[in-house]
Amino acid sequence: MIQTIRLEELLRDTPTPLSRHLVTRPTGRAVRGGIERTVAETGCAMAVLDFTEVGLLDMSCADEVVAKLLLAGIACHVVLAGLREDQLEAVDHVLRHHGLAAVALVAESAPYVLGLADEDMRRAFGCVCSAGPMTSEALADQLGWRSERAAETLAVLVAQRLASAEGDEFHPLPLP
Amino acid sequence: MTRVVEVPSSFDDRSFDQFAGAIGAWPPDARLLIDARGVQWVSPYGLVGLLSAAQALKDQACPLPLFTMPQNDDVNRYWARSGFYEHAEGLFELHGKVPKHAGGNTETLLAVSPIRAIDDVHKAVTDISTNAARIVVEQLGIKAQETMRFGMALSEACQNIVEHSGSIGWVAAQSYTWRRKLGRKVVVMAVSDSGIGFRRSLEALHARRIGDRWGDGAAIEAGLIQNVSRFRDPGRGQGLALIKRFVLQWDGKIAIRSGTARLSIVPKWDDDVPLAEHIPYFPGSQVQITIPAPEAA
Repeated sequence: MIQTIRLEELLRDTPTPLSRHLVTRPTGRAVRGGIERTVAETGCAMAVLDFTEVGLLDMSCADEVVAKLLLAGIACHVVLAGLREDQLEAVDHVLRHHGLAAVALVAESAPYVLGLADEDMRRAFGCVCSAGPMTSEALADQLGWRSERAAETLAVLVAQRLASAEGDEFHPLPLP
Repeated sequence: MTRVVEVPSSFDDRSFDQFAGAIGAWPPDARLLIDARGVQWVSPYGLVGLLSAAQALKDQACPLPLFTMPQNDDVNRYWARSGFYEHAEGLFELHGKVPKHAGGNTETLLAVSPIRAIDDVHKAVTDISTNAARIVVEQLGIKAQETMRFGMALSEACQNIVEHSGSIGWVAAQSYTWRRKLGRKVVVMAVSDSGIGFRRSLEALHARRIGDRWGDGAAIEAGLIQNVSRFRDPGRGQGLALIKRFVLQWDGKIAIRSGTARLSIVPKWDDDVPLAEHIPYFPGSQVQITIPAPEAA
């Protein structure tokens, strides 16, 4: 199940709703708590964090909401949606800082990887997203890579929770 | 005994050293009379710095300082419009007539505002975001979507007061034409607190690593250039990194003063030194971010 979590609603539900801006660490911690509760209550396989109605997102809050959520090993896949350019920059920075990566959905653009991802990861991610489930051999064929390179890259995508593995096949995240 | 501390006639981040030097050792051994009668011009940095001085005196249980207002009516009205007197009452014994608040200032991005807790940060961010959409876009020719970054930078600077200073602080932002150096409009954001400063904040975790060079200058450098924090949390320290990136992106300047040092990232259009050490001591930390209008604007 895919659960869309509208962050501005979580902001309104914080004990002291202060503004529509995702700023300051205490605010970020409260919002992260809301995300974790929603995921636990719904048992969803994927949480789409929707930033659409959020005002500012500062670095401290991006760290608390996104980076710490991933570092804590949340029990589902996480996709970020509706980020504006300034918000993308903040999230990308904190993810890189922690050596993390996440999938971003931006209007009229293919899903892409934010954070620390090398060119191989980005190409493999794009290939799996557009072509659907594939083995490492199929990816190697498509990209003209050696099979070890394809297998290693796909394993990193799975470790970073940018794709999933079922047997020999690697699946794209079931994006909305 | 009362000691007179004259406020420089043009009071900004550079003449602040003269003001700090006139106060002398901390805590002062006499009641201070802050004499602003001769002030002709003040930057946001000057305003929030004055409030921090008074707050530091209060924190150290010093006698309430006296304050004589600018004699120039226009200047004094500006101080009133900026919100300075609203917050100065209680921190100073004010001498002079506080002008009636004659409406807002069209170039004020953020009136002088206290930062005591996280909700103050939210309020400051909301205020500057609203005004930036009007002032920064109209007067500086900066795209509306870029104004978000002003709020982000301000948010990080203000959070540092709540999280690190151990005291309260003040923030203000203004746009004005900087004829002397640039001949262009600039936005100046100033944040000041009367707390423990960079050196004491970072000392426990970082002094040993830096060794003999440790001091106010090295501490600011550790915070601004190396982005270290007093917290062991590896996610910390990124706020100043964001501010630095914002400043570089806009060919702007950031100057941080703490204790007896000031470290600046200096753009080509400015003649400041990157690091000034052994300057007169002043409590807490003072940050100024200056963003010029793009050259074509």
